[in-house]
Amino acid sequence: MHLLVLWLLIIPFLIGILFNFILPVVRRTVGITFILGYLVYFGCFEVVAIPCMLKITYNAFSYCTKYYTIISLVLAAAGLIRGLWVLKRDGFNVLSLFPGETHAGAHELLSPRSDPKMLKMNYSLESNIYWGIFFVLLMFQMVMSVVMSSFDGDDAYFVVESLLAQQADVMNTILPYTGTSTSLDIRHALAVITMWIAFIARQSGIHATIVSHSVIPCLVIALVYLVYVEIARILFRRRQEIIPVFMIIISFLMIFGNVSIYTNATFFLTRTWQGKAIACNQVFPLIFWVFLWMLEDTGHFHSTNPAKTVSDDHYMITPWVMLTLINMLAGVCTSLGIFFGGGIIALLTLILLFFSRRWTVLVGAVLCEIPSVIYLLLYLSIWGG
Amino acid sequence: MYGIFRECYVSLKLYMGNGALLVMFLAAAIYILATEKSIKKKVVLGIMPLVMVVGFLCPIIKKAYVKVFSDGTDTYYRLLWLVPIYLVIGFGACKAIFSLKKSMHQRVALVVTLAVIAITGTFVYTGQYMSKAENLYHIPQSVVDVVDVIAPKEGEPRVRAAFPDEMVHFVRQYNTNILMPYGREMVVTQWDYYNSVYEVMVKPEVIDAEALVAATRETKCSYIILNEERAIDGDLTEQGLELVDTVDGYLIYADPEVIGQK
Repeated sequence: MHLLVLWLLIIPFLIGILFNFILPVVRRTVGITFILGYLVYFGCFEVVAIPCMLKITYNAFSYCTKYYTIISLVLAAAGLIRGLWVLKRDGFNVLSLFPGETHAGAHELLSPRSDPKMLKMNYSLESNIYWGIFFVLLMFQMVMSVVMSSFDGDDAYFVVESLLAQQADVMNTILPYTGTSTSLDIRHALAVITMWIAFIARQSGIHATIVSHSVIPCLVIALVYLVYVEIARILFRRRQEIIPVFMIIISFLMIFGNVSIYTNATFFLTRTWQGKAIACNQVFPLIFWVFLWMLEDTGHFHSTNPAKTVSDDHYMITPWVMLTLINMLAGVCTSLGIFFGGGIIALLTLILLFFSRRWTVLVGAVLCEIPSVIYLLLYLSIWGG
Repeated sequence: MYGIFRECYVSLKLYMGNGALLVMFLAAAIYILATEKSIKKKVVLGIMPLVMVVGFLCPIIKKAYVKVFSDGTDTYYRLLWLVPIYLVIGFGACKAIFSLKKSMHQRVALVVTLAVIAITGTFVYTGQYMSKAENLYHIPQSVVDVVDVIAPKEGEPRVRAAFPDEMVHFVRQYNTNILMPYGREMVVTQWDYYNSVYEVMVKPEVIDAEALVAATRETKCSYIILNEERAIDGDLTEQGLELVDTVDGYLIYADPEVIGQK
């Protein structure tokens, strides 16, 4: 259990601390730091896992595990050192590392230089009750993901791929259904989320099927709602007491969203561990969130907002870095995510271009697609070869 | 073109189920369009989602999708994953609720909103594919128990075993040292593959014991697992197999002829 906490919570969080200096101060929160850490964590895995899978014939998964462990531990250690250094420099206070957690106090409310609405507000008793209801709903979904089992035929492929990596030390070179050897199934192989789950299984010493069905859902459910919270923070920046109400409504839409086998909600709560489910419930909302962030940064996002931008120019590159990492996550989840992610980014870039009137957003959009282009070229070259 | 439009419309209808989700989405998007003061929110949460749904119904987009993706006809609905349906409903609902002046009215509106979502929706945990987990693996305990009997010990070679079709999805999710003559690919009827063991073990109403053993020996199966209820013409022990154990209603037969060849 403690190894799961280490590899699923502590290490990505420390990686987030290492890189959270790229975030604008108001967005340098615990939640966004954790999201950033996870994006880097997954990005590193894609960079390690795909070459190992394509280039190493025997014991490929052991090599993948070794290299990724080293990289993760080095980044986490660097994050720890940076965190301690910042705390020593700026004082042993949580706001030193996460200044975005600052709550608006009397000083901020009175100062003409500050924009207190960009800071977190203290909630009323009623809002705190709503937060409490949301957390009960969140816990309910996490507990149900462990005590309830949902049948899905695709598990005979994806979950077995993870277990094969853990038990047979291979990366997608044994046919999951029967166990005979096979050539690399390129349609699924580049989506290395199954290998990442196997990595967590190996590091924690827990059976990969248990990790898939009973561990990963708890993590994914929490991460998905974290993204919705961040979206809500932007949408309701001026009226933060609405955020918990929004989250309760989103939770209800998910819990009662099984109106067909095709909906995002059905995938979210019945096939949570599968790449497709993570892509449609985590990756695509992440893309929306980053574009809402950039639209907010262009000013006039909220009807009463002053013309000034909320982030310094210094941080203008950050959302595009995030999008680059999100594109990598899309590829980790499913090859479909590459196409879909690229499409939605193109559409939202047009909207951003219209509002920002800066041609540089096109540069950002093109650059953030580089990992997807490499992924696609790799896909086509193996497919053709 | 009209035919393709109809296909897109059917995909949309299938995705939306009883239609309440679509109604809530359209109502929220139109409400945002009508009342939102921020032009950016209006575009991102009002216009764009509606344009995406209209685009989904557009035959040209479906034709392009099917051309790019080999299984495009079956997976076209996935384009709807890109439409921020929950975001639009959530934002529109919150906007409507908090447009009410009195706190009590807001609370009542929230309860009504949640009730509408719950009543018109389907509770995910009562779905037909949901059941109480029998273990942390989330696979039937009978599979675990049967596999534990036949699984090779540390250092021993893998074994091949023929399982009844209701078990094939789960066996290798528990232990990949069990090989199978056929797996999930045979159970998915629309794929329509051929497999000699599947032909004699699953397809007939009454299994021909002699034909089954011939097929499993051909594919080097060390074990045959049969449901106790399964009708079989003959006794597998008369074909030279040994009944190793009966676990959770499943008969486990070992084939000494195949095991001896290893």
